[in-house]
Amino acid sequence: MSDSTTVTPDPAPAAGSGDQPSRMPSRTRRRRRAGRIGQVHPLVALLWLAPALALILGVVLYPAIKLFDASRGEYSITGLRKGDAGWDNYVNVLQHPDLGTVLRNTVVWVVAVVAITIVLSLALAQFLVKSFPGRRFVRWAVIIPWAASLVITSQLFVLLYDYNYGIINHVLLSLHVIGTPIDFLGDDSWTMFSMVVVGVFVSLPFTIFVFIAGLGAIPDDVMEAATVDGASPWQRYWNITLPLMRPALMIATVLNVIYVFNSFPIIYTLNDRNPGYAHDTTITFMYKLAFKSQEHDVGMSAAAGIFNVLLILVVVGIYLKIINWREETSR
Amino acid sequence: MRSTKKSVVVAGLAIAGLALGACGGGTGAGTAPGGTAGATGEEAKTIKLVAAEYSKDHTKAFWDAFAKTYNEKTGYTLEVQVVSWDNIDQQSSTMIQNNQAPDILNLNAYASYAKDGLLYDSDAVLPAVAKDDILDTFVKYGTYQGKFYGFPDLSSARAFFYNKTIFKQAGITAPPKTWAELEADAQKITALGGGKVGYALPLGPEEAQGEFSMWIFNNGGDWKTDGNWVINSDKNVQTLDFLKKLADEKVTQNNPARTNRADAFDLFKSGAAGMVVGFSPLAADLDKDKKVDYGVAPFPTMDGSESKTLGVTDYLMAFKKPGNEKAVKAFYNLYYTPDQVNTFIKAEGFLPVTESGVKYFSNEKALTVYLNTLPNAKLTPTDDPAWDKVKLAVQQNLGGAMNGSPKATLDGLQRTAESVG
Repeated sequence: MSDSTTVTPDPAPAAGSGDQPSRMPSRTRRRRRAGRIGQVHPLVALLWLAPALALILGVVLYPAIKLFDASRGEYSITGLRKGDAGWDNYVNVLQHPDLGTVLRNTVVWVVAVVAITIVLSLALAQFLVKSFPGRRFVRWAVIIPWAASLVITSQLFVLLYDYNYGIINHVLLSLHVIGTPIDFLGDDSWTMFSMVVVGVFVSLPFTIFVFIAGLGAIPDDVMEAATVDGASPWQRYWNITLPLMRPALMIATVLNVIYVFNSFPIIYTLNDRNPGYAHDTTITFMYKLAFKSQEHDVGMSAAAGIFNVLLILVVVGIYLKIINWREETSR
Repeated sequence: MRSTKKSVVVAGLAIAGLALGACGGGTGAGTAPGGTAGATGEEAKTIKLVAAEYSKDHTKAFWDAFAKTYNEKTGYTLEVQVVSWDNIDQQSSTMIQNNQAPDILNLNAYASYAKDGLLYDSDAVLPAVAKDDILDTFVKYGTYQGKFYGFPDLSSARAFFYNKTIFKQAGITAPPKTWAELEADAQKITALGGGKVGYALPLGPEEAQGEFSMWIFNNGGDWKTDGNWVINSDKNVQTLDFLKKLADEKVTQNNPARTNRADAFDLFKSGAAGMVVGFSPLAADLDKDKKVDYGVAPFPTMDGSESKTLGVTDYLMAFKKPGNEKAVKAFYNLYYTPDQVNTFIKAEGFLPVTESGVKYFSNEKALTVYLNTLPNAKLTPTDDPAWDKVKLAVQQNLGGAMNGSPKATLDGLQRTAESVG
């Protein structure tokens, strides 16, 4: 293998590979370029890349193609493919009577969880960069909700929220804050709130650590200069810390939006007692279409899955566009 | 250079191989060599069973022992995959989608599979002795378009559970015989205070159709009569009105529309609920906990006439795959021997599906109340493929009546039922 790294361009490239004439020119070009750089033969490079490429093909591309294929099929309730459905599944998803509710829930869920997470994390990160006795312990403690499985965390909250035995109701009743227990998961006006709390709880650790890293990257001399110039703590935070935190904020926001949008276990677990789609987001909607609802239709669910991917791409795209635009204008 | 080319080919093959490997693995169904019978006519030596997990302790243990006996007696190999009830619907659907159906699937529905032409009927794979032994009720509900496809693995029958201690506290001497008595008793129990719940009414998505079946059957109603859907019949509307009345009087637990059966059972097990519809596994749990002094009685009827019960059975259905008939037939031959089927049912705490099983269990005192009702139990219309969708619609919508109009809810379900089949 090592001798091939020093090989000079072959004068008769692709000899013996006449079965692929159409790909010859590009191969030749690539080889010449590699020869000039004189590092590694592109085909060898391809070999090194093979596992990663295989992974992308097998784990990303192939399922995506299958998903698209499924979205164009007509399926029986048993999962048997009965024929092609054309675009019917897409039309059925768009005409679903509960689609509006589901989309509204998704927006509320993503915006509320991400916004509250970011604000709380900014405050908590500020606290955790200060040195105080037991800081190491607190930092470790913060990681725990991140390390625990989402289903376990959600199930724990189901117990905490319980109407009859839940500790939250127990405490509130003992303190005489409320007279009768609150049905956190069954009362329509509380369900989304209860789910958002859990969503924030599990999103905090990652976000806090991104912000801790961001705060650590702010040079001390800038702060000192501002202090010398007589800036108040609030001015220092608003005019120096926050702008310098922008890369961290951007990463935390984009990753959280994707992560929260795709969050399945929290909503599925906390909402499982509620019939219909009143508190479902597009992700649990997709699952229920396939397995729980009266539609019980894999094809329709696959079409909803395609919409989900497009939706998240568009949202992230718009967000990045806004960020870029701000960068342009601030210069 | 030669060697480089060779390595490129190898790399290419490796990519292709990995990609293909990922295809198989990415389905969530796992790659099962179970049904690789090859060309038609070649006999399958290995068959695959996908079984539902009734209990952590017994299900896998039973099927593993069964597979061993099966192998010793017949020479065929049985691969067993035990799947939780939460996932089995999704897993079986995925397997069929990917053309990897098991040879035998254990599920709570079969009619849609029979309709899709995926199953063997009894003539092909069920030994005549076994068919004759299965209770007539189950043969009737396992028959789709004149052919018997839904072979029952076990059954259960619902009964009325009441907490004797609470009844005594509330001054109630006997379990209610009519709905009016039930309502009065529930009021007395709720009046005790301390979070006591008169009647635990689960209309949440888990099993709304089961609870509602018990009520409509005991008011002379049904889901289907003479081949027509009658979900919004006057009797059924009257029934749902009554349930709403119980909820409005607050003699049920909080928010019955969003209470799943498991939560209602928890209330009864903790001694908070006075009455609930239960079945033998609940009794087994209560006996183990020894916390609640409970009684079991026939479910009260609207007018005090003879009580009816809801019977439920799950199925072991056989998938048509080239060359697997003999091995599948040998499976049923062994499963329906009294030793096997009754051992399984006993361990799981359910009820028999065969005549010989009823005799076998007849000396179990705790089961008498169910066994007497079993031959006359009414089932939900599991023999109609449309029911598989109607059931889901009921689970998702019935609870809505508690905050809305029972009549409108049932009208909606009737429309759904008529539109799917």
